[in-house]
Amino acid sequence: MPGFLQEHLRPLAGSAGLHLALLALLAGAALRWTSSQPPVELAIEGYVVDGPVRVKPLPQPRSTSPAAVPPRQEEVQPKPEPAADPVQQQRVEEAVAAERAAQADRERRQVEERAAQARESELAREQAAAEQRSAEEAQAQRKAAEAKRKTEEQAQAERDAEVRAEREADLQRRLAAEEEADAVARSGVMDEYRALLVQTIERNWIRPPSARAGLQCTLHVTQAPGGTVVDVKLGACNGDQAVRESIANAVFRASPLPAPRDPRAFERRLEIVFKPTE
Amino acid sequence: MRSTNTALSRRGAVLALATVLLLAALPSRAQLRLDITQGVRDAVPIAVVPFGGQAEGAATDVAAVIDNDLRMSGRFAPLERRDMVARPTAGAQIRFEDWRLLRSDFIVVGRVEPDASGLAVSFELFNVRTGASLLAQRLPSTERGLRATGHRVADLVFERLTGIPGAFSTRIAYVAVDGKPPTQRYRLIVADADGYNPRTVADSTEPIMSPAWSPDGRRLAYVSFEGKASAIYVQQLATGERTRVSARTGINGAPAWSPDGNRLALTLSRDGNLDIYTLELATQTLARITTDDAIDTEPEWSRDGQTLYFTSDRAGNAQVYQVALGGERRAERLTFANGYNARPRLSPDGKELALVTLDRGGYRIAVLELASRNLRVLTDARQDESPSFAPNGAMLIYATRDRGRGALAIASSDGAFRQRLSSDQGDVRDPAWSPFPPRG
Repeated sequence: MPGFLQEHLRPLAGSAGLHLALLALLAGAALRWTSSQPPVELAIEGYVVDGPVRVKPLPQPRSTSPAAVPPRQEEVQPKPEPAADPVQQQRVEEAVAAERAAQADRERRQVEERAAQARESELAREQAAAEQRSAEEAQAQRKAAEAKRKTEEQAQAERDAEVRAEREADLQRRLAAEEEADAVARSGVMDEYRALLVQTIERNWIRPPSARAGLQCTLHVTQAPGGTVVDVKLGACNGDQAVRESIANAVFRASPLPAPRDPRAFERRLEIVFKPTE
Repeated sequence: MRSTNTALSRRGAVLALATVLLLAALPSRAQLRLDITQGVRDAVPIAVVPFGGQAEGAATDVAAVIDNDLRMSGRFAPLERRDMVARPTAGAQIRFEDWRLLRSDFIVVGRVEPDASGLAVSFELFNVRTGASLLAQRLPSTERGLRATGHRVADLVFERLTGIPGAFSTRIAYVAVDGKPPTQRYRLIVADADGYNPRTVADSTEPIMSPAWSPDGRRLAYVSFEGKASAIYVQQLATGERTRVSARTGINGAPAWSPDGNRLALTLSRDGNLDIYTLELATQTLARITTDDAIDTEPEWSRDGQTLYFTSDRAGNAQVYQVALGGERRAERLTFANGYNARPRLSPDGKELALVTLDRGGYRIAVLELASRNLRVLTDARQDESPSFAPNGAMLIYATRDRGRGALAIASSDGAFRQRLSSDQGDVRDPAWSPFPPRG
């Protein structure tokens, strides 16, 4: 049994590793599905973050704000007209006074307007600043979020890479195990073992006269690790009773069967086909 | 969260490992396949335990008869009695481990018991390796018939273990020569196949030659020179009544029965040269088969009675030919391998001819396979002759020389085993193995 374990340990460990890796992968995926929804939202937000980058010239609207309109209105103001006679002068003076008053009034209104405008533009500036601040804040948040996303993505990528590497390693191990088995087969150890068994059984098969060419009988033989034949079962057989008796006895007579040079080549179960050539 | 994850993966690992172990426990690897194309011709080791109900030194030791038959076949190597650690006489008494240690593959046990009509012989055959009972029978017998019963048991055991019927219950005919010239005595003897119970059926101071069994085993044809010239006689074995069937001018020799027992093929020189003829026994109708100037002799019938095999020296030395009885009777040469091939005798299955061949300086027994024309030499002595197949085709009897005297020997038809038949009848020759007795 220790031999059996030893013999199977490598492929066994490899297989266990593979199962482990696959299971871990499955479990991880399931967990993320149920509890890691924010990252999914984050991804959607990331998409939105891209929009404002194009809308960046937001602060510029200041130049087209209402504060720029008044100068144009000023230019449209009516020009002062030249005086003609005293009545006219009077009228003119009255008119001038009125005009002045009006002018003053206008100027006052203008001042007031300007002040209002200034206040307004101050407000607008403040608002713009506030808006910019909030935009900047949002951007910072977005940047932070993106950074976080990137970090998480990287972590995920690293985890993926780890799993991949593990799987790769496992695959490599399995390949190595297979190659080793292959190497055992290729190195001739297996062929040698087979030839040894065949030779031993052939030497012990006392072929009855009724075992002629065309005969084909299969025996399923189980041997214990020491080579002792523990079970012989007759499969398909076109021979007579004498043949059946002789082939089973050939195997029993050959017991204990020879051991292979390399213990890895040992096989508990043998399928022995008796098909004599004339 | 993390701890749950770890616990989960641990559980997963345990599960995965369990799965792997389960899979490993199942026959996951392909079984090794072996192709066996050869076997050996070793004798099968068997133990024939002395039968119960027989006192030590009984007149007929049944187990000894069986033991000797099996040994004679060359296919069995019976265990020596002195090596037997127990003497079971019934299956229930056999401790198979004991016999496995003695390396016996099979064991025969039995006993002789009184029976209403005399005696009965019960026997069982077991496979020592598996403990399986392969045969169990009770055969009626008598005190005088115990040898025959022993041969019958040997036949059954032989058939069960080789797949071919045993021929130990058959007989052999041969010629024994006593004395020295000019006071020689020739006797035609019929004995059991193992050489026991020899019975003289004809004797003469002149040579007796070439006994041939009729297909029903009830008659013998043979050549006798009792009238100073050769003649062919047919003798009923049961009554001793004999008929001279051919006493033609010159040589009358080498009789051979047609498969239906109605005709003899024989060699006659009445036309000045030795040629093959057939003789209808009931009507004495003679037909000449060969007309060649050379010597044509030793005819043998094919199974269907349509062809004769014979020896001819028409090519300068003795070779075996065949000729179809219908049509133009043109002979076809069958042997080419050696400079001398003669005395063909057909195997029971009709596929082979046993013959004498000159092989590396010795006259030896060989078997020619008719389909392939392959010749395989069975013996290795210098003066072997007169081969004759046992009716089961497994063995041949032939004449050989032993310290200057004629002796009989048996070879397995594959040539693997040969054994001298002991005889106290002096110089013996010309053996012929009987057919199976007619059924019923």
